[in-house]
Amino acid sequence: MVDPMGAGLVAIASAIAVGATGIAAAMGEQMIGSAAIGVMAEDEGFFGKGLVMTVIPESIVIFGLVVALILLFVTLPALG
Amino acid sequence: MTKVIIAGSKDYLHVAIDVMHKHDVIHITDFVDEDEDFKIGKPHESITKLSERAVYLRSIASSLRIKGKEDIPNKYPEGAIIETIDAKTEQLDVEVSQVTDRISETESKIKNIKDKKRLLEPLKSFDLPLEQYRGYQSLAVFVGTLKGLPTINDITNNYELETAPYGRGQVISLFVPREFEDEILKRLQEQGYAALPLPQGEGIPKDMLVDLEAQLTELQSEKQKSEGDLDDLRKKHIEYILASDEYLSIETQKAEAPLRFASTKNTFIVEGWTPTKDLGSIESDLDGTTKGHVIVAVDTSEAVDVEKVPIALKNPMPSKPLEVLVRAFSLPKYNEIDPTKLMTFMYPALFGLMLGDVGYGLLVIALGLLVSRVIKSQGMRDLAKIGVYAGLSSVIFGFIFNEFFGVEPFGHRGLLTFIVYPAVPRLDNVLTLLIVTLVIGLLMLTLGYVLGFINEYRQHGLKHAVFAKVSWLMMLWGGTIAVALVLPAMSSGTGIQLSLGLIAGLVLLVVGFIFMFMGEGAIGIAELPSLLSNVLSYTRLLSIGVSSMGIALAVNKLSDALFFSKGGIFVIFGVLLLIAGHAINTVLGILDSGLQALRLHYVEFFTKFYSGGGMKYIPFGFERKYTEEK
Repeated sequence: MVDPMGAGLVAIASAIAVGATGIAAAMGEQMIGSAAIGVMAEDEGFFGKGLVMTVIPESIVIFGLVVALILLFVTLPALG
Repeated sequence: MTKVIIAGSKDYLHVAIDVMHKHDVIHITDFVDEDEDFKIGKPHESITKLSERAVYLRSIASSLRIKGKEDIPNKYPEGAIIETIDAKTEQLDVEVSQVTDRISETESKIKNIKDKKRLLEPLKSFDLPLEQYRGYQSLAVFVGTLKGLPTINDITNNYELETAPYGRGQVISLFVPREFEDEILKRLQEQGYAALPLPQGEGIPKDMLVDLEAQLTELQSEKQKSEGDLDDLRKKHIEYILASDEYLSIETQKAEAPLRFASTKNTFIVEGWTPTKDLGSIESDLDGTTKGHVIVAVDTSEAVDVEKVPIALKNPMPSKPLEVLVRAFSLPKYNEIDPTKLMTFMYPALFGLMLGDVGYGLLVIALGLLVSRVIKSQGMRDLAKIGVYAGLSSVIFGFIFNEFFGVEPFGHRGLLTFIVYPAVPRLDNVLTLLIVTLVIGLLMLTLGYVLGFINEYRQHGLKHAVFAKVSWLMMLWGGTIAVALVLPAMSSGTGIQLSLGLIAGLVLLVVGFIFMFMGEGAIGIAELPSLLSNVLSYTRLLSIGVSSMGIALAVNKLSDALFFSKGGIFVIFGVLLLIAGHAINTVLGILDSGLQALRLHYVEFFTKFYSGGGMKYIPFGFERKYTEEK
């Protein structure tokens, strides 16, 4: 029998993991993205590099997502 | 690529240029360092005439709205252009300007009539003929707009006033004796009076308007007819115009070519690069046409700067579309490994791992095939072909994960219970798949470091290659062994056993670190955490897959709970929700999986071995679209 309180806390924890990292990634990408667009206005050839730079902070939210997945699919079953 | 120097007598300069241009293989290195002996060459004297013709022709093309990208069924023979270009362009100019002049004349007439109509419009409710509004000695006339009705009874009763509603206010025509003019004007202005200019002409405004309307219709049909004539001219001459524009571009390119050569008083020298396989044919052709007056010398000196070698990617047909992804990052340098062939397998594999769903995969294939048929841009076509590969891979992984638009199609829980095979549903195997993605990351990084070792070895020798790449490889695997042995022991709480494996891992880690420090110094330490984050980054293969599956699942559950369970008319809404939801998820899936797979290549994989920065190979020549060589 899963403790409903514990299960709820795990769900909230995974929500925070995804939500907070999502905000952080968005803040990073916002700055890099606008700079990348600026460079591309000067020289279209920077598209590839700009894209790479822009998605670098995306790792943060991916890590958050992994933490959430582990919480939901590994920790939560272990509770019950 | 072979570095060539082509030199010869100036008498044969233009013959040599013709031959080089026809072969379309020599990437010319522009000559810039002028000195006393070597000067930059002079363009052919025909250049002025050519530019004049081009300007002339392009102005005709723009009046005929020819943009220069149209397709024509047959190529135009170049010989037919050379002889007739002057006479024919002149004749064309006469024909076209006759029509365009007629059109602009009609347009100015139309504008005049519209102006007049605009002025007459407010007066159309008054029956007074236009000529009676002016020419009075003793009367002042006010024609204009007002916010409300004028109140002038306290000034004089001796007036003639007509009003009609107009817009949000009134239009008035007011006749008063001249002596009250100033006082009335002041009063009217207080009520927001704005005088209307009276148009020229005679007659009752209403009748004049009817008359003008008729004229306008006539002029507009006249204009339409002239535009039809222009369209006929366009159809008749488009092939000729496109072809001669191309001809002029080619001739200009040839005439300007000497500006890129070095020249002395009697000779010219061209420095450039050509693919080695094309060397023989251009050499013999130049020799033949100039009777040995122009020679091709091959520069085999070792001291060639690799940064200056132009790069033409050479890949087998199935890998060609992937070149667009490599070019978007940067072209490889001459002695660098071109990753296109590897990407042909790895990119679709990573994409499929993320969007592993039979249904979405089939949709992606269909979209890819559609785009590669319909769209003409080469870049988009290449992307569409990559989409087909990626879709195929998605279908394969869809079978492995047993997913079809978020539903399990096979197996005892699925729709078709009679087909059972060992599938790996993602939601049931999160931890296993997480480890699989980490292993994929490890393997890709290892491959990256191995390729990096080869590149470094070619560019800077063995010692540098060991310090720069083997060091990282040792740390990567040493760290992995250590973590793999320590982590399970820590989580189960059994305590860490100092096994032989663990010692080996730690030794690898330390030796790798020392090598790295010797090779890159303290700056390398700052790079250390990236090793861990690079490997962890591959977990996105699972996370993005699971989130795309989550959306599909949500769409299915929602449409079932909200609509299908209620039956009747609601089934239609359910189907609509399914279509919309899965369409959005397909777009998201393509964008996200596509970009993330690309990122795993660019950021995690390429940085281990690839720096790029190669110069594009642009042969001296022209890709003819509208003309045939004589």
